[in-house]
Amino acid sequence: MIPVEYYVALSAILFTIGGIGFLVRRNVLVTLMSIEIMLNAVNVAFVAFNRNRTDAHTGQIFGFFLIAAEAAEVAVGLAIVLSLFRVRRTVRSDEADLLKN
Amino acid sequence: MKDFLSLFPANDFSLIAVIMALPLLGAFVNGVFGRRLGKDAVRLMTLAVTGASFAAAIATFIALDGAVAATKTTEMISEHGGAAHEVVKHGHAKLAWTAWEWMRTSGLRDASVPIELKFSVDALSGVMMLVVTGVGFLIHVYASSYMEKDKGYWRFFCYLNLFVFSMLVLILADNLPVLFIGWEGVGLCSYLLIGFWYDKTPNAAAGKKAFIANRIGDFGLLCGMFLLVYYTGALDWTGIANGAQNLVSPTDAAQVHLWPIGGGQFQDAMIGGLRIPLSWLQPNKAWTITGATAVSIAIFLGCTGKSAQLPLYVWLPDAMAGPTPVSALIHAATMVTAGVYLICRLSFVFVLSPPVMMIIAFTGALTALYAAAIALTQNDIKRVLAYSTVSQLGFMFLGVGVGAFTAGFFHVFTHAFFKACLFLGAGSVIHSMHVRVHDDNRAQDMRNMGGLRKFMPLTFGTFVASTLAIIGFPLTSGFFSKDEILAHALVNTPVNPYADRLTARHVEVWSAPGWMNWLLWGMGVLAATLTAFYMCRAVFMTFFGEFRGWTIGRPSQLMKSGKAGHAENEDEDDDDHGDHHHEEDLSTPGAPPAESPRAITIPLIILGTAAIVAGLFNPGMIKLLNEHFDFLPMDHWLEPVFEEASKGVHYPETHTLHTREWLSTAAAFLAFAVGTYGAYWMYIVQKGKHEAGYMKNATKLAAGFSGVIFVVIGGLILGVNAKEAFTAHMIVPWALVAGGAYLAYHCVQQRAVGLDYVYDRSIVVGVDALADTAASVDQGLVDFVIARLTALVVSALGTLLRVVQNGVVHVYAAMMVLGLALVGWFFIQPHADATVADVGNGDYVVSAAPGMAYGYRWYPDAKGAPQNEKFSTVDNLKVHLDEGTSKTVKVEVRNAFSNALDLPVVRWLLPPNPVKEVTLSRPKIEKPVKLELGER
Repeated sequence: MIPVEYYVALSAILFTIGGIGFLVRRNVLVTLMSIEIMLNAVNVAFVAFNRNRTDAHTGQIFGFFLIAAEAAEVAVGLAIVLSLFRVRRTVRSDEADLLKN
Repeated sequence: MKDFLSLFPANDFSLIAVIMALPLLGAFVNGVFGRRLGKDAVRLMTLAVTGASFAAAIATFIALDGAVAATKTTEMISEHGGAAHEVVKHGHAKLAWTAWEWMRTSGLRDASVPIELKFSVDALSGVMMLVVTGVGFLIHVYASSYMEKDKGYWRFFCYLNLFVFSMLVLILADNLPVLFIGWEGVGLCSYLLIGFWYDKTPNAAAGKKAFIANRIGDFGLLCGMFLLVYYTGALDWTGIANGAQNLVSPTDAAQVHLWPIGGGQFQDAMIGGLRIPLSWLQPNKAWTITGATAVSIAIFLGCTGKSAQLPLYVWLPDAMAGPTPVSALIHAATMVTAGVYLICRLSFVFVLSPPVMMIIAFTGALTALYAAAIALTQNDIKRVLAYSTVSQLGFMFLGVGVGAFTAGFFHVFTHAFFKACLFLGAGSVIHSMHVRVHDDNRAQDMRNMGGLRKFMPLTFGTFVASTLAIIGFPLTSGFFSKDEILAHALVNTPVNPYADRLTARHVEVWSAPGWMNWLLWGMGVLAATLTAFYMCRAVFMTFFGEFRGWTIGRPSQLMKSGKAGHAENEDEDDDDHGDHHHEEDLSTPGAPPAESPRAITIPLIILGTAAIVAGLFNPGMIKLLNEHFDFLPMDHWLEPVFEEASKGVHYPETHTLHTREWLSTAAAFLAFAVGTYGAYWMYIVQKGKHEAGYMKNATKLAAGFSGVIFVVIGGLILGVNAKEAFTAHMIVPWALVAGGAYLAYHCVQQRAVGLDYVYDRSIVVGVDALADTAASVDQGLVDFVIARLTALVVSALGTLLRVVQNGVVHVYAAMMVLGLALVGWFFIQPHADATVADVGNGDYVVSAAPGMAYGYRWYPDAKGAPQNEKFSTVDNLKVHLDEGTSKTVKVEVRNAFSNALDLPVVRWLLPPNPVKEVTLSRPKIEKPVKLELGER
């Protein structure tokens, strides 16, 4: 069996990739994808840790909840992206400063 | 009637509630629905409720008479061994009705004092109640016609009914707080009715003036109430009477300390080694007054406000801005006499303080003289009557001040008739003048009247009848009441009823010196002379000669043509505010003034008749002619009420008494004759041609006279102790007297009639200056420093924070990451903390707070070596202490990175604290020590 540290390492790498992508990319769609990557990194960690606890399924169930939350988040996020595009004719996040000041 | 009255037992006499509730109902209906109901319905409502209230008052009075008759006792008295004759005496009967208990307060020695909403009728309030409802009803009838054309008809009668209700509450109250409700209620209605035509600025200002002047007085009344509940432990009439002797208690605790205020002790103060001398403020003997003096002076202040006495009379002349029926009802017949009523009501308290009685008498006499002098100079008919009212109220206070409560109250009674009649007559005249002039001020100016006798004979007849009464024409009502007051002023000396007992305890008791009688009486007679003069002047100017009203308006035509713009009212007519000068067409003579309708003349006739014959109720003067004359219904009726107070009056022996009474009666008649003849000579013989010249000389004379009288009174007061009167330290009081005399001279010389001039230049200026100061503090400090500085700080902070709110999602995200990183770092950092648990027997467990991957190293002694060199996961340490010892324990905390990661910036933001020291101490158990008694 692959030791849990491997999964945790994978999760950390994924989370870092997602985080950096979220911070540096300017395309809102890519930003959304980065968020997805971070959330999935967390999912991986949940499921991996749950394997150490054979008597409980909390981690796995939490994973399902996270997937549902992700779906909702994407639905809202994409709607925002669409409206942003309608208003600004762009999906670049640094031009979306309507909330400024 | 008997069967009807048997429905009401004496201690639950609910008919009182009916008397009061009816006017309240009228006020409610007229106020809420009056506008929609229309004038006829309002008239019906208002006359029905006041009429029914009057009827209920009569029924109550009959019941009261029955109750009084039940207390009758007959005594056989023989005088000087002569023939014995029967003397009928009756006790103090009272019908009462309690609504509910209002509140409880604490009084003397923390006793609980219940204050009930209780009303009662006794001899005094019974008479007053009849006057208020009876005269009130007549004036309502009058007003229903007088106010016919006014669009605020319903509002007027709402206020007027509310006034009657409040006045009845005032009169029928069985304790001071309930009286105070009525007292404030009539003040409110007075305010509302003075400013009834509120769209005219002077009227609204007059209303406010009345309200404020009354507030000053009400402050006194409130203070009096507090003192009464403190000293006597009660606020109802019976309770105050029972506890009244506490008011003259000579013990130090029962005295009111004037200086030092509240009875403290002045000592030199030390501030930072600097000695501030204050002990010189401490008098050798504290200045104190008795509780009775404090209570009486406070309540009397309330009375001067409500009853328009010096120094608070200023509101009453201005109150004439209200409709004339209001002037008649509120500002002549009823409300303004409330002060006299209150003093009569609490007569047993006032007599306990002879100095205050003298102050009351002096205030009354001075007001009577002063207001009469002002009335001489007035041309507005209503203002003449207003000053006349102030003057007559002064007579009433002179009466009660010398302890002649029956005489003072009898003057209230007769004054209600003749002054109401005079005002209503003046209203009738103004009403008919309005046919020709629409300007209020010019319609009321006596210089525009004259010869009205021919046009309105009924008004003339009743006006003359009541004038005869007020000037003291023999056998009219005013003759008897005023004569009695003057006679009593000359013979009565107020003495403390407890004087003997106090003297026995070596307490100094003040008694009035003999010259005071002569001074008071002289002022009264002079005021009576002036009364006769100015009232006859008013009659002659209004009803005799030729009608001068034909030419009213000519000056305004002149003004139109641009010539002689200020031809009209050139002389000092401050009252002409020129509200609306109608351009009248004077090419045709216009309608002549005509007699008023019946609704106006009938009340006039009734009141005029009463003004003539009401003296029958107490023709005390006849007793001088016939010693056995005993038809004095009012005297006997009020005897039980003033029984207690009569102990506070001292009479001279019979011979002097008779001489003085004869002298007084002769002087009163002479005053009437001289005043009347003077006015006749000036206004009929000379046709008023030389009025201005005489006025000028009279002003000079009066100015000099007021200065002299000031010096005389001051000299008499300061000269009481002849030895000390001219020593060096009396220089300040003498300077004050001289300054006052000059001020009096100056004010009269400037024709600054009225204290208005003085108030304008002292209090009003002071208040204005205070307001200006407050305004500049507000603008400079509050607006500028506080408000703008705060705004500046907030906007500066906002500018800083706005920089980070740049709307770019990435920056927000980056900041979030930074924040999360700091939170994470905080968790990793070592934070040492420990709690101590006492497990008993001197054993203590010190537990360290948990943290992520923490290791702990314990030092059982903070200064010594660690328990274990290596960090371990053991997070607690057990310590044992002996009694009375203490110990300091140290714990060191290490995180997962052995405290190695240490970034300078982060270290500054989140400083780590890896070490914690805990001091433990076990107290020495002390054996309980038994306290000896008295040690605490």
